[in-house]
Amino acid sequence: MEKEILEQGLNLNRRKFLSRLSLGLGSAALGSLLVPDLFSGKNPAEDALLNALPHFAPKAKRVIYLFQNGAPSQLETFDYKPLLNKNFGEELPESIRMGQRLTGMTSGQASFPLVGSYFDFQQYGESRAWISSLFPHTASIVDDICIVKSMHTEAINHDPALTFFQTGAQVGNRPSMGSWLSYGLGSENSNLPAFCVLLSKGKGNGQGVYSKLWSNGFLDATHQGVQFSNSEDPVLYLKDPKSMSRDERRKMLDQIAAMNDLSYREFNDPEITAKVQQYEMAYRMQTAVPEITDVSKEPDSIIKLYGPDCLVPGTYAANCLLARKLSESGVRFVQLYHQGWDAHDNLPNQMIGQAKDVDQASAALITDLKQRGLLDETLVIWGGEFGRTNYCQGKIQVENYGRDHHPRAFSIWMAGGGVKSGMVYGETDDFGYNITENPVHVHDFQATILHLMGIDHERLTYKHLGRRYRLTDVSGKVVKDIIT
Amino acid sequence: MKKPSLQGILENLIFVWLGLGLILSIPSNSVFFPDWLQVLGRAHPLILHFPIVLLLMGFLLFWMPQKSELKKITELVILIGINFAGLTVLAGLILAREDYEGSEILWHQWAGIIVFLGSVLLYFFRKKSPTFNKAFGVILALGLVATGHWGANLTHGENFLLAPLKPDDLPKPSLSEAEVFRDMVQPILEAKCQSCHREGKVKGELRMDHLEGIQKGGKSGPFVVAGDLENSLMTQRISLPTEDKKHMPPKNKSQLSDEELSILKEWVRAGAAFDQKVTEIDSTSPLFQIATLQFSEEKTYSFSPVSQELVQSLNNYYRSVKPIHPESPALEVSYFGISAFDPTSLDDLKMIKEQLVHLNLNKMPLEGVDLSFLNDFPNLERLKLNFTGLSSGQIQQLEGLKNLRQLSLAGNSINQDGISILENLGDLSHLYLWQTGLDELQKERLRKSLKSTQIDFGFEGTGIVYELNPPKISQNKSLFSDSLEITLSHPIQSVQIRYTLDESEPDSIQSPVYSVPIWVKNSGKLKARVFAQGWKGSPTQSTVFLKSGIIPELYELKSDPNPRYKAQGSKTLFDQVKGKNNHTSGEWLGFQDSPLDLEFSIGNNQKIGSLELSLLYHEGAYIFPPSKVEILYWENGKWNSMIQKSPEPSDKIRDPRSELLKFNLGDKAFEKLKVRVFPIASLPSWHPGSGAKGWVFIDEILLN
Repeated sequence: MEKEILEQGLNLNRRKFLSRLSLGLGSAALGSLLVPDLFSGKNPAEDALLNALPHFAPKAKRVIYLFQNGAPSQLETFDYKPLLNKNFGEELPESIRMGQRLTGMTSGQASFPLVGSYFDFQQYGESRAWISSLFPHTASIVDDICIVKSMHTEAINHDPALTFFQTGAQVGNRPSMGSWLSYGLGSENSNLPAFCVLLSKGKGNGQGVYSKLWSNGFLDATHQGVQFSNSEDPVLYLKDPKSMSRDERRKMLDQIAAMNDLSYREFNDPEITAKVQQYEMAYRMQTAVPEITDVSKEPDSIIKLYGPDCLVPGTYAANCLLARKLSESGVRFVQLYHQGWDAHDNLPNQMIGQAKDVDQASAALITDLKQRGLLDETLVIWGGEFGRTNYCQGKIQVENYGRDHHPRAFSIWMAGGGVKSGMVYGETDDFGYNITENPVHVHDFQATILHLMGIDHERLTYKHLGRRYRLTDVSGKVVKDIIT
Repeated sequence: MKKPSLQGILENLIFVWLGLGLILSIPSNSVFFPDWLQVLGRAHPLILHFPIVLLLMGFLLFWMPQKSELKKITELVILIGINFAGLTVLAGLILAREDYEGSEILWHQWAGIIVFLGSVLLYFFRKKSPTFNKAFGVILALGLVATGHWGANLTHGENFLLAPLKPDDLPKPSLSEAEVFRDMVQPILEAKCQSCHREGKVKGELRMDHLEGIQKGGKSGPFVVAGDLENSLMTQRISLPTEDKKHMPPKNKSQLSDEELSILKEWVRAGAAFDQKVTEIDSTSPLFQIATLQFSEEKTYSFSPVSQELVQSLNNYYRSVKPIHPESPALEVSYFGISAFDPTSLDDLKMIKEQLVHLNLNKMPLEGVDLSFLNDFPNLERLKLNFTGLSSGQIQQLEGLKNLRQLSLAGNSINQDGISILENLGDLSHLYLWQTGLDELQKERLRKSLKSTQIDFGFEGTGIVYELNPPKISQNKSLFSDSLEITLSHPIQSVQIRYTLDESEPDSIQSPVYSVPIWVKNSGKLKARVFAQGWKGSPTQSTVFLKSGIIPELYELKSDPNPRYKAQGSKTLFDQVKGKNNHTSGEWLGFQDSPLDLEFSIGNNQKIGSLELSLLYHEGAYIFPPSKVEILYWENGKWNSMIQKSPEPSDKIRDPRSELLKFNLGDKAFEKLKVRVFPIASLPSWHPGSGAKGWVFIDEILLN
């Protein structure tokens, strides 16, 4: 009897406990309704971060970055310094250099003789911008571009400087600018990668480009830049092998995906899903890419615009044309590299060749985007990783001289996509050595690009190894003055 | 006499509050308050929490079984609550005399008084019926909540409570629509001033919640005097140091930011107008500068957004549908994938016909597709139809688009009808007509009739003559034993390729035109150029091809090549492998300090017709044509000179290239032969390395 009473009491307690428990579970369930990702294991903060992108109305939808690899001299392009011609051969005054560091290539030089541009300068357009005679086509579009004469960087050698420009840090392993944009905004056209890379080589002294420059770093591998080949087949292996039909290809991919799914369930490695997505992307690229890379239907006026080299695969002109076609088809970020600007000696001669390679096609890209009504939503950037010294490296002659690396002041230009046109921004001293007005640091430049794409550079972050990373590291200010 | 109980004292006290309250509620300006009473008044927001809690608790206790102890507790709680309520009413009435007016204060005040009186009634009639107590308690509780709410509105502002539930403010107007007062000044007043200066709470007799109040000013003077910062009380007060008693906003309230300060001052300085547009102010003034940062040039839209699910469902691999940015209801749509395009998919867009503002159909095959459905898209501003094969009839279907501002029609041929239709699209700001086949007259006509439209006819390239690029020469090998096929090609299909095999420069008239692959049987050099109408002929491209020859029985290098470029030594010269045009490929022997000096004999008394040297020239890398080539033969125990020749020197830097130097030996047999090739001793003056020693690079010697 006593036992039954006890049992009864316990039962009562148990029932009470269970009913209370269910109330607790109910409230937990309610909680999960209020915070939907509570139990999903996803990082809601990150999803929210991406859902809120772009942070504000973008001015540019796409970027084409014409990287002039090796660092073209600002003094033979856009920064006109007649004083250097006047003071030819005179020593660089200490009051200008102020003991700043030099590279090992000239720090041992007994003297630092000033050397002026071998090429004449003239003023063009409504902005009255000075442009050297090497760039007649660029001069013809001067009212569509904004020349920034006050860029400066932290690195003094090519690889760190390039890496700094592309990833915001001088050491490797961080995501490239295009990868950040792919991560933040995705691709407009889901049949093409968001980030494409095109390489070309001039005849001047070249510096290497490495795939780390278009690396996804710690971001998902789908954000990696896709390098196009220089051959007539810009993306290799897109054709189906003989005797394999489209349907069979589809079946094969489905089977592989099923198997990958199995191993994903076992190991939970996100690289596996990234791989499946890439296979799917490649499948869709099989039709999307040939539509774009076929240049045989381009009208004659396009060939004249870009120059006849634009039909020779692997040239800068061909890459500019391809860049336009990719960008027009919704590729978020097209990165070109043109090697050969590292003129430590024989600079005038090398510059002639390099300018011939890039001048017409760069200007053509602007004109072409404009006539299609695309320039206002496409940001085009032209520039190298740093500038070159105002003093001569090696033997000095009026028509034959060299220039060493100079990170303290150099020129780039930008066009379209929310950048003021017909503008010259920033100024350097009469020696072209230091910036006197409106300096633009590489991080400022990156912040500005992200801003034009509708992104607050401080809010596009990714948490990796316990800290949040961003393209502009811990600095960067949007250069509002050059934005429309 | 019975000692007065606490309950009795409290009951009596109620009537003190009632009496005092009655006096204070008589509206009169003649009542004078001592300072300490004012302190009591200002304690109203502090005291009021007691009656709320106590009375609500009392009303709640009515609903519990009223056993004797609980009954007493309930009564006591309500009694204490009523006393606090009385005190609160009293304090409230005193506080109300300070800078409050309007209907809100009246609601709060009378609701408070009624709840107080009601509670008093409830207390004294509590013994009538428990049901009455419960019901009346509920009514009073509701009254209490309402009173508290109205009171909170007075302190925190009317929208304070529900603000988190309300959707964000209306989108900011665009720069062209924005007004200085309405969109720049007023939001500051609302955020930083109106909690004290508005209907219901009129500190300093100044109201900022309506225009009249601002124009009228407060008790100390005018709010603003156009252009006069000194005499406008607003600018005067906000400019005082924070510690100053008269500084506004008061020290403990949220302060004005620097930007807000300058907006208010610049507004007064510029004349304190109430209906000025931002675009009407001087563009150099700081006010305009701030405005450009605050307002984007983006247009804002008033139509409502469609559901996110609908947007999601419209997206697929070949169509992207997205808001123009996350907060905007406006959508942009792009189509991709020419081969996957299905015109019926355009019907889906009808679901977002109001929201669609940008439509990109570039390159989609739209021939014969009915576009008149687009006329139902009232907000479509930007339409991209480049290279879509449109007809004039289809362009006509766009005439109903009233908000269309940018139209891209590049790459569609437009005829006379098309021009007449385009002439009616006067509201366009941009029109793109590149590659539409219009002649100058037609362009002029459009320019004239569309005066406010920016028309881009693009680059035609007529009249510009560029040089063609050289042809591509392909041959599967350079050394052949029998015959060799050479093909020529050029990326531009319409050009003519002409070539020569006799070392002469190809020209556009005499030289043979390339049509089928060329077969060669002897060593030689092919030169080719490209010509086309409207272009300058290309530079010459050339190739060297070598017929493999006899390999000598004995051969020996008498001089050493530069150790960096020694390849396989003398063997390389007869390995029948042509080097690539790159001196570092390991297939070339390089000589700089000493000339190449090779002795060889072919044995068997074989006759030799010719000797060919395959050289590399690349001026950029200091590799030049040799200064001299000497061929000697062995006879009578000594070397006798047979040939001495200096090839044509270089005159400029050119691409790396293979060259062939051919020497006729007269078809004789020799016991031994010697070849000497001398690099140039010093580079010519035009070269950047002028004065330095030149190089000779050789990969093959051919004997026939």
